[in-house]
Amino acid sequence: MNRRAHIVNLFGAVLLALLFGCSAVSQAPSVPPKHPEDLPPGRVDCLECHKDVSTGALKPYASVRHSRVFIDSHGTYARQGQNLCSSCHKPEFCQTCHAGKDELKPNTKMGDRPDRRAPHRGDYLIAHRIDGRLDPGSCFRCHGNKNDSRCKQCHR
Amino acid sequence: MSKIIVDNNGDIWQNSFIPNSVLGVRMGRPTTVVTSGKRLLPAVVAITLLLPLLFAGTSPAADVALSSKTYALLYQRELPGGEKNRYAPLYEYLSADAANLGGQPVAFHFYGWGRMDLAEPSGSERTSGEIGSAYMEYLHPQGNAQAKLGRFFLTEGAAMETLDGAFVKATTPLGLGVSVYGGAPVEYSILNGTKGGSALYGGRVFFVQAGYVEIGASYLRENGTFQEGEDRELYGGDLWLRVAPPVELTAQATYNRSVREMASQRYAVRIVPGATFDVSAGYESYTYKGLFQSTLHPAFVFPSVDNNDKVQTIFGIVDWAFVPGWTLEVAGKNIRHDKSDPGDAYRGEVGLRYTYNEKKDVAGFSAAFLAADRDENEYREFRGFATYSPSKIRLALDALTQQYKQEIFGKKNAYQVVASAGYQVLAALQLSGDLVYTQSPTYRKDYAGLLRATVELGTSTGGKK
Repeated sequence: MNRRAHIVNLFGAVLLALLFGCSAVSQAPSVPPKHPEDLPPGRVDCLECHKDVSTGALKPYASVRHSRVFIDSHGTYARQGQNLCSSCHKPEFCQTCHAGKDELKPNTKMGDRPDRRAPHRGDYLIAHRIDGRLDPGSCFRCHGNKNDSRCKQCHR
Repeated sequence: MSKIIVDNNGDIWQNSFIPNSVLGVRMGRPTTVVTSGKRLLPAVVAITLLLPLLFAGTSPAADVALSSKTYALLYQRELPGGEKNRYAPLYEYLSADAANLGGQPVAFHFYGWGRMDLAEPSGSERTSGEIGSAYMEYLHPQGNAQAKLGRFFLTEGAAMETLDGAFVKATTPLGLGVSVYGGAPVEYSILNGTKGGSALYGGRVFFVQAGYVEIGASYLRENGTFQEGEDRELYGGDLWLRVAPPVELTAQATYNRSVREMASQRYAVRIVPGATFDVSAGYESYTYKGLFQSTLHPAFVFPSVDNNDKVQTIFGIVDWAFVPGWTLEVAGKNIRHDKSDPGDAYRGEVGLRYTYNEKKDVAGFSAAFLAADRDENEYREFRGFATYSPSKIRLALDALTQQYKQEIFGKKNAYQVVASAGYQVLAALQLSGDLVYTQSPTYRKDYAGLLRATVELGTSTGGKK
């Protein structure tokens, strides 16, 4: 049996053990799929209404407060689950930046929202030469395999 | 100049560009890309569009939301050589969400965009587009269990992918949980001779105790012929730990087994004592060989980068609402490379934001400084912006300047000003327009205008941003 088959079997065994050996799914209520009330425009602070721990992320609401700290590290939280995010954000919200081959820069789409931390403001063709040399890992997350073919004009 | 190449697999590569000797770089029109998810796309679209019909007859209470964003751009660019280009692309971004289908916790989500050029082609063809997501979702009422089927953007452990496939996640009463996913990756290659993977699958096992800890281990494998002719195989680990009520630790690490390198690591401590103060500091590192192994972009392979380089970063961020309405943001980062080219750098940033008009408007100023070993990597950036929303009108102004230490194409400065005005015509319709002026080393003059029409329709109240 090859290594891939071992891994598939392992995940299958873990799945069965967890689902059937541990009395199936947790009975704790899930986070609502949609925020029950309209959200005001602009950046929302969950802590204005919510206290304690979110049923979606199972983390305190303070941890997901949309401060500059959270925005810069939101990927760390998203990789542990998206349920709480999707309660307030449509799927398209992520893909405004984490796009496939989108041609419009996020800040072009959101020119009327300068308060948003949209990347690539100004003529980013110039600044990306510097940012890309110093920290290409930050570029890779969106452009490593989901990219705009315009890149190929220079990158050959 | 244009050249069309058909490779052995029948994929068509179109290569067209307009050389520009003044800039020293090739400026021109985009090339066609090869997508690995393209072959499964018709099937995925058909399945995900037809599945909601199964619920249509029994879904009187379906919660439907439609969103249309239309952007009409007109821009003229004057290059330093005197060449002028004028484009008028029309973009449509459409999203649709239908929840509570058949009275069940089942939803359908769609998001896609398309472009049509009204003047000169702004891309390799006069039209372009993409389906970003189209999937059915089941959200179990308990335990945050869920399932997705179709095309969706997934972040789970080591994975941050767009996938044509399936995803299942469940947590047991003990807090143990598992997620599995599999399908065809939706990727776009512009690296000659390289395609995206043919299949991608993986999963994550985790333990979570609400409010205290979540720890996970993940695995991802993507079949393909990436760098060094290998598949992509990742092992990941993640941790969120609340040490004490205001203090939490986060960790995230990925090991690339295909090239036997740590791909990336990120460790941070964060202190969140309340709603007004948030501070974080940490360490991050990645190796080019480990992180970029599966890239489909020539910027991440030799000779654009030295694949033996490694980046280590120490960072700190402070977000402090010191007075109601006023927020101070300070961030610092030390970037160290193993290689002297590009060398090391320090980035500092300070910003001030003022929120007013019942939080509908924000004004802000920020300054960023990049000091580096090499002059070519140093620049400063200053930005100011403000919005004003009396009644149904919304006005916004945004100005940015960058100053480079070393000349780029004979210039050391760049400027951009964006002025925007909008009007809420109906509850569901907003019209707005932007005027943009840019002067930079790339463009001697760049004038752009944008008209934006946003339509938001829904059958119920409730927040979706």
